[in-house]
Amino acid sequence: MIKLNHVSKVYRIGGTKVYALKDASLNVREGEFVSIIGPSGSGKSTMMNIIGCLDTADEGEYFLDGQIVEEYSEKELARIRNKKIGFIFQSFNLIGNLTAEENVELPLIYQKLSKEDRKVRVEDAFEKVGLSDRRRHKPHELSGGQQQRVAIARAIAARPSLFLADEPTGNLDSVTGREIMEIFKELNGEGKTIVLITHDDEVAGQAGRRIRILDGQVSKEEVCSGNQ
Amino acid sequence: MFRQSVKMAWKSISSNKMRSFLTMLGIIIGVMSLVVLVSLASGAASSVNSRISEIGSNLLTVNVKDDKGSPLKLEDIAKLAESGEIKDAAPVTQSSVAAKSSYAEESAAVYGTTGAYAEINQLELYAGRFLKETDIENHTNVAVINAGLALEVLGRMDVVGETVALEGMEYQVVGVLKAKDSDTSTTENLEAYVPYTSLIRLVQDVPYEVTRFIVSASGEETMDRAEEELKEQMLERFSWDEDAFSIVNQSAVLEAMESVNSTLSFMLGGIAGISLLVGGIGIMNIMLVSVTERTREIGIRKAIGAGRGTIMMQFLMEALMISLMGCAIGIGFSWIALKAISAVESGGTAYTLSMGVVWIAVAFSMGIGILFGIYPANKAARQKPIEALRYTG
Repeated sequence: MIKLNHVSKVYRIGGTKVYALKDASLNVREGEFVSIIGPSGSGKSTMMNIIGCLDTADEGEYFLDGQIVEEYSEKELARIRNKKIGFIFQSFNLIGNLTAEENVELPLIYQKLSKEDRKVRVEDAFEKVGLSDRRRHKPHELSGGQQQRVAIARAIAARPSLFLADEPTGNLDSVTGREIMEIFKELNGEGKTIVLITHDDEVAGQAGRRIRILDGQVSKEEVCSGNQ
Repeated sequence: MFRQSVKMAWKSISSNKMRSFLTMLGIIIGVMSLVVLVSLASGAASSVNSRISEIGSNLLTVNVKDDKGSPLKLEDIAKLAESGEIKDAAPVTQSSVAAKSSYAEESAAVYGTTGAYAEINQLELYAGRFLKETDIENHTNVAVINAGLALEVLGRMDVVGETVALEGMEYQVVGVLKAKDSDTSTTENLEAYVPYTSLIRLVQDVPYEVTRFIVSASGEETMDRAEEELKEQMLERFSWDEDAFSIVNQSAVLEAMESVNSTLSFMLGGIAGISLLVGGIGIMNIMLVSVTERTREIGIRKAIGAGRGTIMMQFLMEALMISLMGCAIGIGFSWIALKAISAVESGGTAYTLSMGVVWIAVAFSMGIGILFGIYPANKAARQKPIEALRYTG
């Protein structure tokens, strides 16, 4: 499903080139649960941005479902982010002046779904994350764990094939973090592809496969015994 | 999509009420000044116009300042009307007298003139007749009174045949004029028309010589030729001295008033337009702040699939909504302001919201919303999602 072929990303700071990613290659099959682990500055966030079509590679190719992403226009990239990819961020990234429900509905509005369809999907998504009773609250009225559930619900509602989670448990206590991880496992159980980015070995170990990144390169891949 | 943008714009406007209102205030004041000032100007213009057209626009007024020892007599005035383009001519002299009957006493304006006066001014009779040639010749004490005088001094309209005392002298009422439809009889001036020859005797300061008379042309098209002809005759009479008399052309006055009024409207409109423009700059300013503040929101929206057009539409809609809401509030306030001014103003001029200027205000506000919204909206739409997401305000 995801295939990175010798991908590099270069930033110029002053006159010198700095490689955020250097010749990184990666393969993720449909239905896999993969974690990408590395210390801060290792390039894992850059990798996630490229996989999530938020950024494009300077060198190399990225195939998403067999299509070269570099060839898409900005408009098509927005459509791919909308339909194929569900983002879950460390800082939740909910829109503050919208209620939980409206946040979840937003990608569906961008998908131009009818009101009835949106309603059904929003209800389903809230049920899946177990937060049906908090739908009309604004994000600041919810705890961190609840906000992250809303964010996951937002990703679920769009019915993407790929979930991209960037340190989803980073801002949460360990108990809540584990609950969030359970949701991901459940989603994976339903056949969704999940790519999880973390610096935490314990979190990474819960995935099916662990990919270690160091200095912008894939340094090690290992199959986890995990909780599969 | 359109409905969603409206909804989102409304959400963002209503979640920041104070700021949205202050931003709108610029447009509100701009629209108010535009609508109120232009409505006032056109109200004043139409009241002046109606007053002038009441007098009649195919009318020339001649004032004699220096008679060169050969003053105009009533016969001279009558002779004027015999020439081609001049239809009628009537001497006019005016004084203020006390009008009295057993019912009431009021002060009234009395005009000394001849029968031609009614023709020239197109006066309409309610009952009776106007002054006749014989009334002038015989210095008869007869009067034609207007509706105001009839109601105020005599108490009713059907008073033909009764007498009214003007300055203590008994005058027989031979005719009553119709009430002018523009005025109600209570606000109508009290006026009486008596034979020129009779007024000379009644009032001390009215001279026998005619110093002011009015002339009508056969039609509005022949006004210019009538004026030429009149001028020719007057010049001949007063030894070719142009300063001995003056001719005032009613339609020229009307034209001058109209041009003054339209200049005034344009100037006021221009000033109001400038304040609307300033309001628009206020919108742009706030929208730019809003785009910066909401950089992260833009990043989130883009990450979950909003395209450039969607973001653009959202912010543009917001700017447009602020300016149109401001416009609507401004028009509402203008309506109230005009009602208040009409109520306070003693002249009885009713100022109404002129629909033309309302539409201009709406179109202008819309234009300003788009003009000043497009730059911030474009700035928002062009944000790169990763950079926007990384932004920490």
